[in-house]
Amino acid sequence: MSDATTTEERGGGILRERLSDFISQLAAAGALIVIFVFLSLTSAQFLTADNLFNVGTQTAYTVVIAIGETLVIITAGIDLSVGSVAALSGVLGVMTIVNLGLPVPLGIFGGILVGAGAGLVNGLLVTVAGLNPFIATLGMLSVARGLVFIFTNAQSIFGLPNSFMLLGQGEIGAVPIPIIVIIVVAIIGYFVLSRTRLGRYAYAMGSNLEASRLSGIPTRRYLTAVYVISGALAGLGGMIASSLINSGQPNFGLGLELDAIAAAVIGGASLFGGQGTVVGTLIGAFLIALIRNGAVLLNVNTFYQQVIIGVIIWVAVFWDQYRRRKLESSS
Amino acid sequence: MNEKRISRRDFLKVGGTGMAGAALLGVVGCGAKVRQSSSGGKGGGSTGNSGSLRIAVVPKAIGFDYWATVQNGAKCAASEHKNVSVEWKGVTQETDVNGQIQLLQDFITQGVDAIVYAATDAKALHQVSQQALKKGIVTINIDSGTTPQPKQVPLIATNNVAAAEKATEYMAKKLGKKGGKVALIEFQPGTETNTTRVKGFKNVMKKNPQLKLVAKQSSQSDYNTALRVTSDVLTSHPDLSAIYAANEPSVLGAAAAVQRAGKAGKVLIVGWDTASGEIKDVKQGLVAGVLAQNPFLMGYKGVNEAVKKLRTGDKYTLKSIDTGAVLITKGDLNQSKIQSLLNPSCKNPPTWTAQQ
Repeated sequence: MSDATTTEERGGGILRERLSDFISQLAAAGALIVIFVFLSLTSAQFLTADNLFNVGTQTAYTVVIAIGETLVIITAGIDLSVGSVAALSGVLGVMTIVNLGLPVPLGIFGGILVGAGAGLVNGLLVTVAGLNPFIATLGMLSVARGLVFIFTNAQSIFGLPNSFMLLGQGEIGAVPIPIIVIIVVAIIGYFVLSRTRLGRYAYAMGSNLEASRLSGIPTRRYLTAVYVISGALAGLGGMIASSLINSGQPNFGLGLELDAIAAAVIGGASLFGGQGTVVGTLIGAFLIALIRNGAVLLNVNTFYQQVIIGVIIWVAVFWDQYRRRKLESSS
Repeated sequence: MNEKRISRRDFLKVGGTGMAGAALLGVVGCGAKVRQSSSGGKGGGSTGNSGSLRIAVVPKAIGFDYWATVQNGAKCAASEHKNVSVEWKGVTQETDVNGQIQLLQDFITQGVDAIVYAATDAKALHQVSQQALKKGIVTINIDSGTTPQPKQVPLIATNNVAAAEKATEYMAKKLGKKGGKVALIEFQPGTETNTTRVKGFKNVMKKNPQLKLVAKQSSQSDYNTALRVTSDVLTSHPDLSAIYAANEPSVLGAAAAVQRAGKAGKVLIVGWDTASGEIKDVKQGLVAGVLAQNPFLMGYKGVNEAVKKLRTGDKYTLKSIDTGAVLITKGDLNQSKIQSLLNPSCKNPPTWTAQQ
C-alpha cells in the first residue's frame, strides 16, 4: 500500500516536471507560431527559403551561445561574460590564422579553446574562490573585453583566407552550415541535458546545491564543467560570427549576453535554477530572431524592436510562472 | 481606546521635531547647489614656453581603425614638439556617454594642460567643456562637437552634411534618370554624427524624386548587425538599386550582404570610412565609393593647435577647421594623394584635404 503511494508520488512528480517544462515551451512556441503566421501574412518575402535560411544563419551564433547559457542558468548560475568571451575567442582564433598562419580548422579549434579557458576561469571563480556567478562572470565580461582590445590594439583584423568563410557562409547541399551547426549543437545539448550525468546533475544542483553535494555529487567539478561548456560554446559562437563577416571584430558581441539570457528565459529557463530546456531556448532565440527579421521586412523603426523583445520577455516569464503556480496548486 | 489617542504633548513634540527638521532642510536646501570642484590655477597658466605639456586625447570609443588613425595623428603631432606627451584614453562603446564624461572629468581633476576630445553626445558633453574651460584647460573638439559649441572651443572635424551630399550626389548621378529604390543603413540614430550624415543624404534625396527611400535600418555600429539588417532589406526589396551606409561597420555589413545575396555590382553602395576591408570592397567593385575623412589630421591638428595655444598664450586664437572629406572610387585608389590619405604617415601628413 505504502509502496504504491510512493511510486505514484514519484511518478506524479516527474510527470509534473515534464508537464511544466512542456507548458512553458508551449507558451513560447505559441508566440513563435503567432509571429510566424503574422509575418507570413504581412510580408510577401518572409516565407521564402532565402529569408528563412538567412534568419537561421544570422541567428546561429546567438543560438549556440544561448544553449550554453541555458546550461548555466539551469544550475541557478548565470554567465554574463559570453558576449565578451565570444569576441575574445573570435579575434584570437582569427589572429592565430592570420598572424601565426595556422590552418583554418586549428584556428577555429583554438578559438573554441580560448572560450573554454575563459569558462574554466569563470568556473573556478565560482566553485573554488566562492564568488557569486553574477560577480565572477561580470568580472570576466570586463576582463575578456579588455584582453580583446589589448590583443587587437582595438583594430579589426582582416586578411583571412576564403576557406575560413565556410563555417559561417558555406553550405552543404542547400542548407547553410551555420544552420547545421545549430542542429548539431542542439542535439548534443539535448542529449547532454537529458541523458548524461552532467545534465541531470545540472538540474539537481540548480534545484538544491547543498542537497546535491550531500548526496554525493562532486558539485565543484560538475559546476566548473558547466562554465567551461558555456565558454566553449561562446567561443564557437565567436568563430561563427567572425566567419560570417570574414574578419575579427573587437566590438563584436556587446550585449550579446542579454540576447542569450533572454532566449533561455523566454524558453522557460528559470533564473532560480532547475528549469530550462534546449528546445525552449531554441524557440526563444528564434522568437527574438523573427521579431528582428520581421521588423526589418516591415520597415518598423529600430527602436521598437527592443521594446517588443523586452515586452515578450515579461509576458513569457509571467505566463510561465502563472501556469506553473496553477499546476502546483491543482496537484 | 485610550492608548490610541495621541496626547497633545506628543503631538507637539512630533510636530515640533518635524518643523525643526523641515526648517533645517530648508536652510540646507537654500545653500544647496550642484557640487563643483574648486577651480584651481592648474592648467594653461603654469606652463612656460617649453615646459612639459600633458594633453589628453579622448576619442568617442576605441575599437575602430578610424580612432586608431586619430591616435596616430595625435602622436605624430606630439612627436614634432618638445616635451609634449599625449594620453590616449577612451571608452569602449560610442554610446557610453556617461563613461566618457567620467573619463574627461578625471582628466580635468588631474589638471592636464589640454583636452582634445570627440563628443559622444553633443548636449551632454557641453557641460564638460565648460568645466574644463573654467579650470583653464585648453579644450578642443575633434570629429564631433557640442551643442552649444563654446566660443573658446574650436571644432576640428569633417563637415558631415557637405560630405554626405557629395556621396549621395554621386549615387544619384550613377543611378541616372531612371533612379531606383534606395536603402539607408545608419549606425546610431540620435547621435550628432549620424544625424548630420543622414541629413546630407536626405537633402540630396529630396532633390532627386526619382530616388525612393524604401528602408531605413540601424547597424548599431556592429558589422554582424549591419549584415543581418541589410540581408533582410534585400529580401524585402529584391529590386533595390542602391545603399547609403553611414559608417565603417555599416558599409562592411551592407557589402557582405549584397555579395551574399549574389547581387555584387548590381546594388550600388556608397558610404563612409576607409577601413582596409572597405578599400578591398572598393577595389573589387562591391562598393562604388567611400567617403574618406581625415582622422589623422583631426588628431594631428587637435594636438598641434593645443600646443600652439598653450605655448603662445592669448596671442593665438583657436579656430574651427574643416578637415575635409574625399569620395574615393575604384579609379582613384592608385593616386599618391589618395594613398597619403589612406595610409597617413607622420613624415607626410595628409594636410591637403583641409579647408579653413
